[in-house]
Amino acid sequence: MKKFLYLIPIVIGIISCEEKETVPQEWQFEKVVELDGVNPIGVALDGNDIFLSDGDHNRIVKVDLDGEILFSMENFERPMHIDFGEADMEITDKISTSILKERALFIPEYGRDSIAIMRDNKRDYLIINDSLDAPAGISVYDNEIAIADFYTNRILYYNGSEWINFGKEGKAAGDFYYPTDVQITVDNIFVADAYNNRGQVFDKTGRFLAQFGKDENFNAATGIYVSDNEIFLTDFENNRVVVFGKDYTVKQILKTNIDKPTDVIVLDQQLLITNYRKGELVIFKLGDKLIKEKSKSEDPEHENHNH
Amino acid sequence: MKNTIFIATIIFGLFAFAKADAQTKKDRDQFEVQVDGLGCPFCAYGLEKKFKEFKGIKDVKIEIETGDFSFSYPASKNLTMDAVVEQVKKAGYTPNLATITRANGAVETNAKETVAIKQGNLTNSELYVNGKCGMCKARIEKTVSDLPGVASATWDVKTGMLTLEHDTSLTTKKAVANAVANAGHDTKTVKSDDATYDALPACCHYKRTK
Repeated sequence: MKKFLYLIPIVIGIISCEEKETVPQEWQFEKVVELDGVNPIGVALDGNDIFLSDGDHNRIVKVDLDGEILFSMENFERPMHIDFGEADMEITDKISTSILKERALFIPEYGRDSIAIMRDNKRDYLIINDSLDAPAGISVYDNEIAIADFYTNRILYYNGSEWINFGKEGKAAGDFYYPTDVQITVDNIFVADAYNNRGQVFDKTGRFLAQFGKDENFNAATGIYVSDNEIFLTDFENNRVVVFGKDYTVKQILKTNIDKPTDVIVLDQQLLITNYRKGELVIFKLGDKLIKEKSKSEDPEHENHNH
Repeated sequence: MKNTIFIATIIFGLFAFAKADAQTKKDRDQFEVQVDGLGCPFCAYGLEKKFKEFKGIKDVKIEIETGDFSFSYPASKNLTMDAVVEQVKKAGYTPNLATITRANGAVETNAKETVAIKQGNLTNSELYVNGKCGMCKARIEKTVSDLPGVASATWDVKTGMLTLEHDTSLTTKKAVANAVANAGHDTKTVKSDDATYDALPACCHYKRTK
């Protein structure tokens, strides 16, 4: 009898261990947020505040998760993929120069060939000793900055002490054909190489490391976002967002309600995707992979549509 | 008294401003171009940038949804319709109706006189044309529709099939293939030359078959 009493907690322990086994997670469609008169190209977060660049209407808007515009900053010239950050950079208000020493929103202006910097209602411009031709994306990471320059097919990168640039027009590894977005991470620089239909990865000297998405039949890879575990690449013409693992293999393909996506970002357990043409934010949330859909959802060609 | 002088100064200033503005408009030609296929914002904004290269251009506006593109230009430079249409094409876009309202009030358009097509002579044809996006669609359909004897032309982005109604005595399938190749799009029988293909906007660079 005593032996049985010993066995009971062991058995319970084993069962509870099995229950705690981690369930694989995946992105699941949650909702579409309609944006009134906004055609978003880029998205950036300041805490929980959502900022969108509205290229068609030459403005930046701050919206909430219901799509309400909380405020709007006007008179930009085709603002593109934006980012928040803090970098000790030389800036100018066109009259005097100063050093930026606070968190700000960095806005590449495609039509003005410049990088605007906004904090509160003050607007300055980043001083760069190089000429831009249609900057389409920017990333700020600690004291580093990377700019995707559309027509020169280059990435301009400030490593904290000096500017370098890399890339040229072409289709080979390390070349670009109209880069539209960029993101700096702790070790690397990720680029949305839009019309080569792929993502590319470089080290911080500009040395090519890897490319991904070449076999996924992308048609304009316009926006990129890199989280701790995943890489998201928008497929503009095919109305998809492809989720890659850090080994560059496809983990999931998101399609539900995605239409002409230009950018993507993660906010807590939510994925925010900008639908440019329709003027929408599409929100996916991270949830447990549904057992019923196991065979389907393990196939990366299928998103789980059973929500 | 002081108030009267102040108000008079403001009114005089407003008149002067209005006169200067009218003078400025009088010295400038107004251009309106309907452009097809502004699907991708990166390429559409590129059109705007291309025209900013014209020194003296002002009031550049582009409506992405409608494809309405407008600007003003100094009348003294006498910018021609052909130059405008060529610049739009050079940028990779497809100009439809273009209208110039000259500073002296004269209006020019590129609208073509339509030749009546006899319905009884029409044949339905299909042709595979290589392309990949909305801008390709606009270019292919406009190119084919402009050919004599073509009543309608529709190109499907997904399948690449061009469906047309045409009078074969005026335009053959071979002529259609030649026309789309000249616009940068390969068919199974006629290939576009490399320079024309290379000049297409980035988003139109479809995969070519050897």
